[in-house]
Amino acid sequence: MQNLRRTSQGIFLLLFLFLFIQTESKGRDALGYPAKIFLDFDPLIFITTIFSAHAVQKAFYFSLITIAITLIFGRAFCGWVCPLGTLNNIVGAMKKGRPKTEDRNLYRVKYYVLIFLIISSLFSLQLAGIVDPLSLLIRSLSVSVYPLFSYGIRAVFDAIYSADIKGVTALSESVYSILKKSVLSFQQPFYNQSLFIGALFFLILGLNLVEKRFWCKYLCPLGALLGILSRFSIFKRSVSEGCTSCGACANVCQGNASPDKKEEWRDTECYYCWNCDDVCPQNAVSFGFSGKKAAASMDLGRRRVITSMASGVIAVPLLRATPLSKSEFINQRLIRPPGSLEEKEFLKRCVKCGECMKVCITNGLQPTLLEAGLEGIWSPLLIPKIGYCEFRCTLCGQVCPTGAIKKLNLEEKAKVKIGLAMIDKGRCLPYAHARPCIVCEEVCPTPKKAIWFEKAKVKDRNGKEFIVQQPRVDLELCIGCGICEAKCPVVDKPAIYVTSIGESRSKENRLLMEGY
Amino acid sequence: MHCMNRRKFVKSAAITIAGLSVPNFIDSLVSDLGAAERIDLAVARGASPSKITRAAVDAMGGMKKFVSRGDIVVVKPNMAWDRTPEQAGNTNPEVVAEVVKMCFEAGAKKVKVFDRTVNDPRRCYVQSGISDAVKALGADISYVDERKFKEMNVKGEAMKTWPLYTELFEADKVINIPIAKHHSLATLTMSMKNWMGVMGGSRRQIHQRLDESLVDLSGFIKPTLTILDAVRILTANGPQGGNLADVKKLDTVIAGVDQVAVDSLGATLFGMKGSDLGYVKMADKRGLGTMDIAKLKIKKVNI
Repeated sequence: MQNLRRTSQGIFLLLFLFLFIQTESKGRDALGYPAKIFLDFDPLIFITTIFSAHAVQKAFYFSLITIAITLIFGRAFCGWVCPLGTLNNIVGAMKKGRPKTEDRNLYRVKYYVLIFLIISSLFSLQLAGIVDPLSLLIRSLSVSVYPLFSYGIRAVFDAIYSADIKGVTALSESVYSILKKSVLSFQQPFYNQSLFIGALFFLILGLNLVEKRFWCKYLCPLGALLGILSRFSIFKRSVSEGCTSCGACANVCQGNASPDKKEEWRDTECYYCWNCDDVCPQNAVSFGFSGKKAAASMDLGRRRVITSMASGVIAVPLLRATPLSKSEFINQRLIRPPGSLEEKEFLKRCVKCGECMKVCITNGLQPTLLEAGLEGIWSPLLIPKIGYCEFRCTLCGQVCPTGAIKKLNLEEKAKVKIGLAMIDKGRCLPYAHARPCIVCEEVCPTPKKAIWFEKAKVKDRNGKEFIVQQPRVDLELCIGCGICEAKCPVVDKPAIYVTSIGESRSKENRLLMEGY
Repeated sequence: MHCMNRRKFVKSAAITIAGLSVPNFIDSLVSDLGAAERIDLAVARGASPSKITRAAVDAMGGMKKFVSRGDIVVVKPNMAWDRTPEQAGNTNPEVVAEVVKMCFEAGAKKVKVFDRTVNDPRRCYVQSGISDAVKALGADISYVDERKFKEMNVKGEAMKTWPLYTELFEADKVINIPIAKHHSLATLTMSMKNWMGVMGGSRRQIHQRLDESLVDLSGFIKPTLTILDAVRILTANGPQGGNLADVKKLDTVIAGVDQVAVDSLGATLFGMKGSDLGYVKMADKRGLGTMDIAKLKIKKVNI
């Protein structure tokens, strides 16, 4: 059974990684792969999104399958499918020695986390994505692990290339081109906070060295949700008379499910990994369908449950009582991806999975820190200097699992304003320095260019008169894509820059009198 | 490039010697090489982009005149923008494909196609239709590799040195296939401006002295052949366009060796003259080519 389970885990992990790598433009309008499908099967995000936003993407009904499977087979998802669980398994394999068999009551923590998330989502606060294992894994890989991997590989091959070693370089270049076509990203990605987000991820992996699958046993809220559901599952473990209480099963249990305690076995903690069955010298353990409820009761402690519920409630005003909630107080740098919902609605849905940042064709979508308040941490914002919004690209809306970013077609995309460009006349070459430059206009992608020129007569220091074209922004045509800012020759502090003003999704952050 | 010059020299020297020593063979030799009459520019018009491309090159003496067996050829279209063929922001994919095809027919060992794009390279290569069109023919279409730019001594008036794409200079032959478009600073962008696509580094700076830079660059590169795509031209909101109302269908292709002459004739497609373009005027003055099309022998083909 162990081999079968490991095969299943391997297949799902590889599928997950494959889809992750495919979450990248190939130049066509559509991605071609269901990049977000793991999230679609995630019932924690499904439930919290229904609660917080009162609406959910159709694809999330896939998560009912996960729920159904759990109601039949218990928390098998954790043991057989979850890619983060598998990674925890792999790292946990490095921990030598017998696991602690004494009962850690720490396992309850994940239920408190779950209660907190569910209660706060009932009050419209969507924080599940921060700790949901799939969301967390995609975000960590996108923003930190994959860029790190990519950087390392590229550095090695670039070094061999520039050393130009006879024979070796030719070989390394052909290996490099294979890697580029398979596992490497098209271009080296860079993200703000990659260190921070990566450190949290490596901490989670590192906890396996304290105790195998520490995250899954004690912290994972999706595990907790599936654990509760598995109370009702019909596939249960039973121990026959032959048990000699040797305790062999307790040493191999992945989930801290107290398998050695027979009737006190905790179904909510079992991943159905089958290790206890495999290892039992008496062959006394078996899994099968039975209506019998497990004997171990689930005691979370009333006071603690109430405390976590209360924290879920209190978190709402705590996170929202910031100046950012004032409608006039708008962060100019909070340029959301095209198709993003109005900010309040956006935050109710965004689960910070980082899919949009991974897929962003220019690398411009970056995780926020506090630009959108603590509530919006790690949600996407566009930093045009890092990468502009490609006019005919709609990928972020295609991969967003919750509809925080709407899926747009090309016609809709062309009309969405994410901000507006303004010119800094003190730095712009034709304005401040009487030098010709037309780059912002040249790259402006709207069919009728949003940047136009006013011819101006200027003088150089010798008094020689000539004519330069000075750029102006047509506020009605500008969509705030930021390519002008990204390509401005005044690279350090561009002479044209985009801020969030004028974004179509907001009623408050408007500039023009007439509606659009 | 040096290779090309050397080969050309050897070839013309051989012809001269053969001509001097065996006068009777002159005619047959010369017509074999397709140089029976001196043609400076060929203009082909017709509904099929591929047919007029072939006709224009044939009128110039056929691709065999420019590409030899075993050559590595760089074909440089303009595919800098995330635009589709009907938007006329990039060279017509059928024109590019036909040129690639003719190179292979002439015996080219390898045909490389690339451009340093302005928009995302993946989208530009795919949306322009060029990637699919030339891949099917066996051309090497690859994204620009930043490591392959080398600082080169352009020794121009405005451009002293600049990182340029080495693959272009390692090739035996270079064929430039620009598209004719409006541009707010250059007025029009055609063949000479298409060389910006092999510039590395921060090329946005050259707009401060655009005309000089373009002449410097064109003088340094000197292509084997230039084929100007005017199947569709972009008359406003260039160089990327996006509005179909700005696109004019001319069903025309111009071919020539003299890139200045090609651009000068290209200007007439927009109702302008070569002398309306600063870089054409400057290039003519520097002796890079001929701006005055009245002095040129132009062959017109309609199919």
